[in-house]
Amino acid sequence: MDLLKMRESYQRERVMLCFNGPISRSLIEEIGKALRNYLDTQQAAPAAAMDVFAAYIEMTQNIRHYARRQGYDDEQASATVVVSQDDQGHYRVSAGNLVQTPDGERLAATIDDLARLDRAELKAAYKRQLRQPRVDASSGAGLGLLDIARKSSRPMRASLQPLSDQQSFFSLTATL
Amino acid sequence: MTNAMTMIPDLDIPGSQSTPAIRSDWAAGRLTLQGDSYPENSYELFDQVIAWVERFLSDESRPLALELTLVYLNTSSVKAMMDIFDLLEEAHEGGRPVSVTWHYDPRNERIAELAEEFKEDCSYPFAITPTPVTP
Repeated sequence: MDLLKMRESYQRERVMLCFNGPISRSLIEEIGKALRNYLDTQQAAPAAAMDVFAAYIEMTQNIRHYARRQGYDDEQASATVVVSQDDQGHYRVSAGNLVQTPDGERLAATIDDLARLDRAELKAAYKRQLRQPRVDASSGAGLGLLDIARKSSRPMRASLQPLSDQQSFFSLTATL
Repeated sequence: MTNAMTMIPDLDIPGSQSTPAIRSDWAAGRLTLQGDSYPENSYELFDQVIAWVERFLSDESRPLALELTLVYLNTSSVKAMMDIFDLLEEAHEGGRPVSVTWHYDPRNERIAELAEEFKEDCSYPFAITPTPVTP
């Protein structure tokens, strides 16, 4: 394993924290705690730190909910999570996971739709979504994305890379 | 049918890293929530809180006060809290005295912003109060 290459890539991308593997409820909390501590030592403003934490929580919980609905095993339910900074110092939260390709296409289309909304429209959409009846008590998937979109300083970016006939790797990046 | 005279037990749920401390006081007409709230399935936690509020509002005619020191809420907790605020709104429209006081650390404006958004949909007294900052 070429750790130097990894290190160089982390440094180039200004990676603060990254994780790859099956993600459990308690792991989300533990990584979240590490993230908060790290942001604290970086003296990030409390509001900025909370935005990063919120994006991280919504993304990882969305991945967990999706994997559970799909009945994925641990391996398939793996998440790739990266928290970094862009060259202007904005925090970036990225998360990737395995999806059924049609689901990924729908999700990518949703992200594109959100990118066209301004702040007031995002707020209205968020409030509308909040008032939707709770279909699946374990999930507010659409609400989570709207929440991240509202906290983002620029539109979220999504990409879908095919892995097999039916499955793709979906990645989402939010810049706070 | 439940007996209206039966008192529902008060809630005393300790907080955890991802769930708030929740305490209810039937005698005083008070419900207190304190801390972060980001469980994966918020209704697993909040259903009992919603049930307590529904029960208090239907069995009693005394005022109900919510004392909140909530910090970070994930969207699933936001949805559950909105259900509670909606119950209060309904009671208020029926002439019932209800109120919310949300205490927040003024160093983090996100908390006040979140509270303000809830307040927009409520017509009963909803105070958003900065807590004194110790230097």
